[in-house]
Amino acid sequence: MNETHFHSIKDLSTHHLLGAGTAMCAGCGGLEALQVIYDILGEKTVFINAAGCMTLLSVYPYTPFRGSWLYTAMASAPAGAQGVRDALDILLEKQLIGTDEDLQTVVLTGDGSAYGMGLSATSAAIERGLDFLYICYDNEGYGNTGHQSSGATPHGARTATCRTVHGFSGDKKDLFAIWAAHRPAYVATVAGAEPVDLARKVEKACRLKGPRLLIALAPCPTGWGYDPQETVQVGKLAVACGLWPLKEAVQGKIVHTKPPGKRLPVETYLKTQDRFAHLFEPQRDEQTLHEIQERVDIYWREWEE
Amino acid sequence: MPKHHRSNALFRIRFHGRGGQGVKTASRILGQAFFLAGYEVQDAPRYGAERRGATIFAYVRASHDSIYERGIIRRPDLVVVADETLVEIPAAGVLQGVTKTTVVLIHSKLTAEDWIKRYTPLEKVVILHPVKTRRQELHLDSAACAGAAACLAGVITRDHLQRAIEEEFVGQKGSLVQANLTQALDAYNQMALDSGLVIAGSGDQGTTPASPDWIDLPFEAADISAPTIHAALTSTQVTTGLWRTLRPVVDENICRRCGLCSSYCPEGVISLDDQGIPVIDYVHCKGCLVCVVECPAHAIHAHPEPVPEGEQT
Amino acid sequence: MTRTLLTGNGAAAWGMRLARADYLPAFPITPQTEIIETVASWINRNEIECRMTTLESEHSMLTAAGAAAATGVRVFSATSSQGLLYGMEMLYTVAGWRAPLVLVNVSRGLAAPITLEPDHNDILAARDCGALQIHCATCQEVLDSILLAYRLAEDWRVRLPVIVNLDGFYLSFTREPVQIPEAAAVNRFLPPFDSGNLCFRASAPTSQAVAVLGGGPYSYFRYQAYLAAMNALGVFEEIGQEFRKQFGRSYDLLDTYHCDDADILFVMLGSFATKAREAVDHLRASGQAVGLVRPRLLRPFPKMALQRVLAGKQGVAVIDQNLSPGGGFLYTELATALYDQSTAKPLLVNFIGGLGGRDISREEFFEIAAETRRAVTAGTAPLPRLLFTAAELREVRKLQAIAGSRREPPRREP
Repeated sequence: MNETHFHSIKDLSTHHLLGAGTAMCAGCGGLEALQVIYDILGEKTVFINAAGCMTLLSVYPYTPFRGSWLYTAMASAPAGAQGVRDALDILLEKQLIGTDEDLQTVVLTGDGSAYGMGLSATSAAIERGLDFLYICYDNEGYGNTGHQSSGATPHGARTATCRTVHGFSGDKKDLFAIWAAHRPAYVATVAGAEPVDLARKVEKACRLKGPRLLIALAPCPTGWGYDPQETVQVGKLAVACGLWPLKEAVQGKIVHTKPPGKRLPVETYLKTQDRFAHLFEPQRDEQTLHEIQERVDIYWREWEE
Repeated sequence: MPKHHRSNALFRIRFHGRGGQGVKTASRILGQAFFLAGYEVQDAPRYGAERRGATIFAYVRASHDSIYERGIIRRPDLVVVADETLVEIPAAGVLQGVTKTTVVLIHSKLTAEDWIKRYTPLEKVVILHPVKTRRQELHLDSAACAGAAACLAGVITRDHLQRAIEEEFVGQKGSLVQANLTQALDAYNQMALDSGLVIAGSGDQGTTPASPDWIDLPFEAADISAPTIHAALTSTQVTTGLWRTLRPVVDENICRRCGLCSSYCPEGVISLDDQGIPVIDYVHCKGCLVCVVECPAHAIHAHPEPVPEGEQT
Repeated sequence: MTRTLLTGNGAAAWGMRLARADYLPAFPITPQTEIIETVASWINRNEIECRMTTLESEHSMLTAAGAAAATGVRVFSATSSQGLLYGMEMLYTVAGWRAPLVLVNVSRGLAAPITLEPDHNDILAARDCGALQIHCATCQEVLDSILLAYRLAEDWRVRLPVIVNLDGFYLSFTREPVQIPEAAAVNRFLPPFDSGNLCFRASAPTSQAVAVLGGGPYSYFRYQAYLAAMNALGVFEEIGQEFRKQFGRSYDLLDTYHCDDADILFVMLGSFATKAREAVDHLRASGQAVGLVRPRLLRPFPKMALQRVLAGKQGVAVIDQNLSPGGGFLYTELATALYDQSTAKPLLVNFIGGLGGRDISREEFFEIAAETRRAVTAGTAPLPRLLFTAAELREVRKLQAIAGSRREPPRREP
């Protein structure tokens, strides 16, 4: 059960299953994560999508998928997965299709849907015990419409709808905790910048049945304001600064899979992105920087105790 | 068999009762009995959100032809009143559209003459004598009312009635079916002398319909015409005490003045006087009898509501 | 063949049962709930083979319904009123998927103020979504229409969702004798669902409902769905004839009654039209040449059929059980249908009645006929007339007094 094929980055596939040629931005951190995920999931999948950046993966007549795809609506991708799963089960039970024709149902949504409009549909899919994998690519804003604030926007960030002096005054919603509170079979945070950790979690999720959910940090050069080439660095810094704890919960038990040994100051991460530039220029916003660092410190102190 | 029945005329029958009394069941038994007797049928209950004790009605139409009328029966040939206390409640609409030719079947301890004396439009009143008084068996009223109505219609045999009850209670406990059958057939027999008294279509004799008196609804600004209540506690104007069939009465000699009844009363209609004795607001008390059950001293007793004394306006 | 007493909801459940729907995504709402409860009881007793999943909203319910249909199973679902509107986004979406399924809507007036009783503003809000609409007047029609709806939805010339509409209370809770067809006969009429290339299979990678760039492809796909909807007119007539051969009951685009020699026609939708039919009998008995037209298929709108039946009439009373600024929906739609005719057009008079389940009395049908005749004589149609009496206003005034509404509004600058 706990044996993994993925010990180092060398164990990851270099032959990628997801086709090129999509409309995703250059340097998209979400796509980076999806590549690794899709390599492991393979083509016997049907992706159920909600409105968001990745809706543009499949633009008529182009699709990067070797398997199948269904776009639903912003609020109800898990319900779409329910319909497909139920229908496949019906066809299997009636022996109208063989098990070789079965597909994994995979929900793919951004944070706008996952943290907001789709939360109710997700909650209900988990409570119904739907056998599905949910992938949330979390770029911390409504990326597809120009990066307005979403339920995933972090403290202090500027977005298209929040240009205030100190940036967003609220906190990023703890979706991991919300999902974990439902006691699904599996829930984990991942990042494309930490592909081995990501691969192990996908591998683990695939061995389980029932609701399995992944929140993938999706560094967004367009919305966050950094050069596309820095995507992996930005993602690694988020982990190294302790801002994006990599963890998983199996049946409610939470384990940190890659705790940062000595955490870097959050500034190291914040300085890489335009959305936090107002914290440094024209003068340092000590108050907000302190608030962000403090939140991270409190989080880890609670866990380390 | 029928005395005055016109073969293609439409029976229009309205049932009035309280939630829990089985008015819907009564209409369904009668509807099914008509259907088994070879009639085209329409039966339906009318209620909003179902509430125990609140007034509801149901109707049955039956004819040898297809039925195209729908909804409320305005000109009934037969009105069946399962709960006599409803007659005096204008909102229950028991007497709506009732004329001299309408047969009114009342489940009552009073006599037909009493009723005719009290309510002017009433002429053809038939009394169905109540058999059961226990509240747990209130629903059996429905079978009795359906049985009596079936006989009054004059076109339904005992066999139709029996099969209708079996059909409507399919899958239910045998003892329940038997109890309903007994009630229905007893009531059917009680009506033997009046069999066929109800004449299909008799309530619908008007051939020159009156103008509907439409008006041009004038504009009124939203501060008047929005569905908004600009006041508090207006619900107290609703006399929910009319829902009550049994009245809780406090025996002051036994009462220990603990106030539990007031705490548990779901309606909040029990207050304590300065002696600590519960005072029940009968205008609003719905007769749920929680207080009767909860009183540790057994000082609250349920009494049947008094029969209406006469026309009250 | 069994003839039994069924409510409209019971008839809807039976339609679904005979159609052998594989899947029922559900969400309760009055006055529809009885349908899903009935089906659930059959499933619990192993009487039917169907999977039922209760979703957490109508939006999710319709998403699951469309997704299952897109995977290739036969889907049935039901809703009403607020639920239909809550799921509205998905109605458009699923129609765009070209996923065939049957949705029953039990009509109920929309909030605010909230009510449980019927009118057609809910179903008519869905008139442009791309799903087809069949409107029923009797419990028998509810059952039969569901069978017709599956044939229509699954026909390769159509392949769209179909909504079967019945009125809350007046049909949903009203029992009437209903002929339940033999399963074998239904199987002959409605073969198993052949979803063709509409599926998700490991061996057949499929990307459904993908985005488009640019108005050209968008126009193409939307217009194809429109053409498919328009095909439904011919297909409905075809399967209606087949239905008559199989079951003996006729389903034309329009239900017409005493139309040929009439000079005045009533036009109505749904179960209240049977009240109009009853009134027509009385009007005929008093020597008036009045008839009734009731469109069964409302989407697509049976324009040509209506043009034919309305040709040469003096006046048409359009009785709308819905309200929209400018008049009733049926009135404006009918006016549009008649506009491009070169022959003399009948005068259209609009009446708004039956809102929130308000009854329409026989007297009112008499008055509707009389007012239409007066308008024909005068040569002009009056403004839309709300069926509302002085007595009703007096009742409202009593309620307003309790509600503390001021009778005199404050003076305002004009």
